[in-house]
Amino acid sequence: MSSPAENTQLASHLFDELLGSIIMDVSSECHRIARLGLDRNLDDEEEELKLSAQARARVADPSNSEANSKYVVDIFGQTHPPVATEIFDCMNCGRAIVAGRFAPHLEKCMGKGRKARVKSTRSSTAAAAHNR
Amino acid sequence: MSSNSDHQTHHDRSFVSNQQHQSTAVIVPPPCSHLAEFKAGRGVAAFGKLLECIQVRPLGRASVRRQANEIFHCGACGQLSLRLYACVSCPAIVCEIHAPDHEHEISIDVDRAELFCRSCGDQVYDRDFDSAIVLSQSAAATLGGCNSLCAPPPENLRKRRRVDYRPWTPDSRERALLGSNSTLLPGNDEDTSSNWNFPVGLKGLNNLGNTCFMNSVLQALLHTPPLRNYFLSDRHNRFVCQQKNGAHERKNKNPQRLCLACDTDALFSAVFSGDRKPYSPARFLYSWWQHAGNLANYEMQDAHEFFISMLDGIHEKVEKDEKKSHSQGSGECCIAHRVFSGILRSDVMCTACGFTSTTYDPCIDISLDLIPPEPSGRNTNTNTKTKTKIDSQLTPTLVGCLDQFTRPERLGSDSDQKFFCQRCKIRQESLKQMSIRKLPLVSCFHIKRFEHSPVKKLSRKVDRYMQFPFSLDMSPYLSSSILRGRFGNRIFAFDGSGNENEEQDFSSEFELFAVVTHTGKLDAGHYVTYLRLSNEWYKCDDCWVTRVNESIVRGVQGYMMFYVQKMLFYKATDKI
Repeated sequence: MSSPAENTQLASHLFDELLGSIIMDVSSECHRIARLGLDRNLDDEEEELKLSAQARARVADPSNSEANSKYVVDIFGQTHPPVATEIFDCMNCGRAIVAGRFAPHLEKCMGKGRKARVKSTRSSTAAAAHNR
Repeated sequence: MSSNSDHQTHHDRSFVSNQQHQSTAVIVPPPCSHLAEFKAGRGVAAFGKLLECIQVRPLGRASVRRQANEIFHCGACGQLSLRLYACVSCPAIVCEIHAPDHEHEISIDVDRAELFCRSCGDQVYDRDFDSAIVLSQSAAATLGGCNSLCAPPPENLRKRRRVDYRPWTPDSRERALLGSNSTLLPGNDEDTSSNWNFPVGLKGLNNLGNTCFMNSVLQALLHTPPLRNYFLSDRHNRFVCQQKNGAHERKNKNPQRLCLACDTDALFSAVFSGDRKPYSPARFLYSWWQHAGNLANYEMQDAHEFFISMLDGIHEKVEKDEKKSHSQGSGECCIAHRVFSGILRSDVMCTACGFTSTTYDPCIDISLDLIPPEPSGRNTNTNTKTKTKIDSQLTPTLVGCLDQFTRPERLGSDSDQKFFCQRCKIRQESLKQMSIRKLPLVSCFHIKRFEHSPVKKLSRKVDRYMQFPFSLDMSPYLSSSILRGRFGNRIFAFDGSGNENEEQDFSSEFELFAVVTHTGKLDAGHYVTYLRLSNEWYKCDDCWVTRVNESIVRGVQGYMMFYVQKMLFYKATDKI
């Protein structure tokens, strides 16, 4: 039977061979990748990451007005109220509705959504029966 | 054939070499003089009997064994070296130390099936050799015959014909037609010149009550080049469409059956009219709610869900109209699919025998899990991971998410996930790997930031920043590249990289043109879109359109990113 010391040496030797074999595999693969032009352009990727890190720092900076300011005018020189004030007719019921409140109106008007109740009239139930 | 890349990429080198019929972006290095001499006059047969001795482990690499379980020793020193080479010209086996002493120059690394030139002292590469190796490997992966390598492409993969760009101006007859059938847009009341300094289609969209999810996606679609071109070229004329359907609907007594494509046409007309006052997409909302009944309520919706739903709405209507029932993958059915539809390939590989089952599915976008990249890179594919050590933390990147998406995933830890292997005839553990068989004209990447766990009954938002590039090369994620990586990066025309090479070299480069971001909490958040027009970035926050520096955009929390194929991307045009 071999001694513990020999076993350790054998184990160590075995490990070295395994490791060496793996290193050789990786080298061979990387060599092929490099020769065939398949390696990714790491310089560009580094550059992109650097730019994004700089960008994040700028955004996080509280003194940066561009990132965090409230709007005064848009690029066309216009200002807008918090709730859109344009008025147009609802295409479902015909009533004049303010733009900023159009969606909640339409929800009820079309009978969709949780809070709306479908108004059932004789004509709507008759139509529903006809369409089935 | 020069590329318009701003930066040097490996693609440039592929244009320099005059090789035809390459796999995507592979350059075949010219042989060293020794290899060239060796092959001269012998061609494919040069490597002779050794090519018959290729052994392939399932999913593993090829090796050279003249008999099963042969163990090699160096003929000179008798050692079992880490690198042993079998001479191609005689039966000798040498280790790397004694290879230079051997009389013949070319040999094969027995464990890795790689050619070695002892005069150059380097690994060398040869197309014929690689082809033979790949064919051996693929035979092992199939039921006798190449299937996954030379699998018949999905039926609906039509080869896109390349048409050269020709500038067009109207002739006198067309000019007369244009004059008599169109009216000039009204000029603006404000200072006309300053308004026309900005791209024409830039216009705010009014929030109609928690509709920023819709506004943000509409802004991106309004500036999706092929979609914009389609509608601005009057390819879906809402007046003609309504006239056609008016007669039809009167029969059905269903007057409210609206066409989402018509409303989209109306939206384009309004937004590109030159008028700068914000537009209220009320009619569009009404139309969409008719189509997507279950999503019709006043609560904030998910922008991505809206995106899918809207494209579906356009598809449905057009398909009904023209009675086209092409499968979605071909993109022939409607403009929505023509622009966004790609084809994904899914391979499931048996880990015991290597048998591979392949399926193709159309996709309209790619949803990516947001996970931080692993510290160690993968080495088996064409990608080598960069260590992204910014802020001493690993930053997730879009490229990293795409790497993850196309990484082989092990299935079968639970017994019910085991894949039934047709060759082994029993259930086995398997590997599943996704890749992109056909790229769409426009790639939409959706980052899964909203987690809904029905088990835990909670939903949460993943706020983590993810870096995304302004230019994206999708070639590492193509099926041809993934396959090539799986087979050891050999020089071979893998799936789909035959005569379409040139096209793929060009068409896998993408440019970012729109980013939809979400800020705030899961149920009380806000969507904003950033648009890239003529290399300027504009922030579209409902009715507010402002210009921002590109570094702002780099730092945002992207939820949906829209990339268009570079050849369709207008870098610096006048007003569009």
